[in-house]
Amino acid sequence: MPPTFGQQLITLLPNLRRFALSLTRSAPAADDLVQITCEKALVNQASFTEGTRLDAWLFRIMRNAWIDQLRKNKTAGVSVDVDALTDITGDDGRTQTENTLMLKATRAAIAELPDDQRDVLVLVCIEELTYQEASDVLDVPIGTVMSRLARARKKLASVLGINPGQ
Amino acid sequence: MTEKFSDNTLMAYADGELSAPERAKIEQALEGDATLASRLAAFSSTRQAASDAFKPLLDTPVPDTLKSSIEDMVARHEGASKPDPAPAEHDNVVAIASRPRFMGARLDLALAASIALVVGAAVGYLVSTSQTAAPPAGLMTADLSDPALVVALRTVPSGEERALEDVGRFRAIASFRDETEELCREFELDKADASTVVSVACQSAGQWQVRFTVVAGSANDGYAPASSLDALDAYLSAIGAGDPLSPDAEKTALQQLR
Repeated sequence: MPPTFGQQLITLLPNLRRFALSLTRSAPAADDLVQITCEKALVNQASFTEGTRLDAWLFRIMRNAWIDQLRKNKTAGVSVDVDALTDITGDDGRTQTENTLMLKATRAAIAELPDDQRDVLVLVCIEELTYQEASDVLDVPIGTVMSRLARARKKLASVLGINPGQ
Repeated sequence: MTEKFSDNTLMAYADGELSAPERAKIEQALEGDATLASRLAAFSSTRQAASDAFKPLLDTPVPDTLKSSIEDMVARHEGASKPDPAPAEHDNVVAIASRPRFMGARLDLALAASIALVVGAAVGYLVSTSQTAAPPAGLMTADLSDPALVVALRTVPSGEERALEDVGRFRAIASFRDETEELCREFELDKADASTVVSVACQSAGQWQVRFTVVAGSANDGYAPASSLDALDAYLSAIGAGDPLSPDAEKTALQQLR
């Protein structure tokens, strides 16, 4: 028996949390956002197109829900903790190797990107969506996806000391 | 030589977005062109670095509270025939089985959103047993003549939803006070015809009055799209909407209405 919609949703929870964390940069807010997203997804599952990526569909719901929250909260002021994204993972108490430091530096650099660049970087390079899928999630043309993605990559490369063309 | 490949083309190559013939052209040019190889490496290594950096997040266990809450949610939706386990005071909440939604080509919602701006008493519809006026046909999209909606406005905390019989799915979004200190509530309504409306209703002389309504169209994933809400933003600034009330402040304000 193929997994039900709900089972697939539960399987994707780690991915949903990861994207939520990148959007909210706050663990409690990320978990709230995952809940809201799952609720909306379950209510509207009939509108999911079979044969397309469920995670991309969920990311779209999630991002729109987040924008909605920002809109409602903007006068109240949303507190964003840049450290939430960098601290949440990878710190398992062992001696920090050069590698874990590199991972941390990369997460920090990604956390510092402008929101629209970070969204597209996370969707394409981390969640492995195609440009077309990212364009559908974000409701922007593919050209915009590519230009944001290129800007994000260049910034990341320069922070991490990867110098193109040398 | 390397200039014939733009950054975007190299990036698309690194991201696996190019067709086989396009890939072959780049692979041919890469041979013996260290500069091109280095430009390409900047894109492939940033992809790899980002992916590596976020991989541990997938291995971070999902908190039990979150996981069990989603599992309950799934069970509620997938077992639509089972009795609703919600407590008595929530007996108007029903697990909504998936319903047919508009499945046609995705509309450009920003353009398709038909916006009905309902300002004040001009077209606003005062709800009262004694002074009920006929709603302007076709304009009143959040019809306050329905008692269930009036009750929902008074009782549903922001962030929660209720299924209202004969009305649709009601979602309380936020409560705030306008510049005259009247209590206002923003809410969304998924109507039976699969359209979603976003409305603002305010208290005036002890009655709820719809002040603003955007018909957000039929989003194919069932919520008002951010792009169609610009008009709402403009409206909220125009009426001097204050900060959203905290859950406690909202509770107090709603209780005072009773």
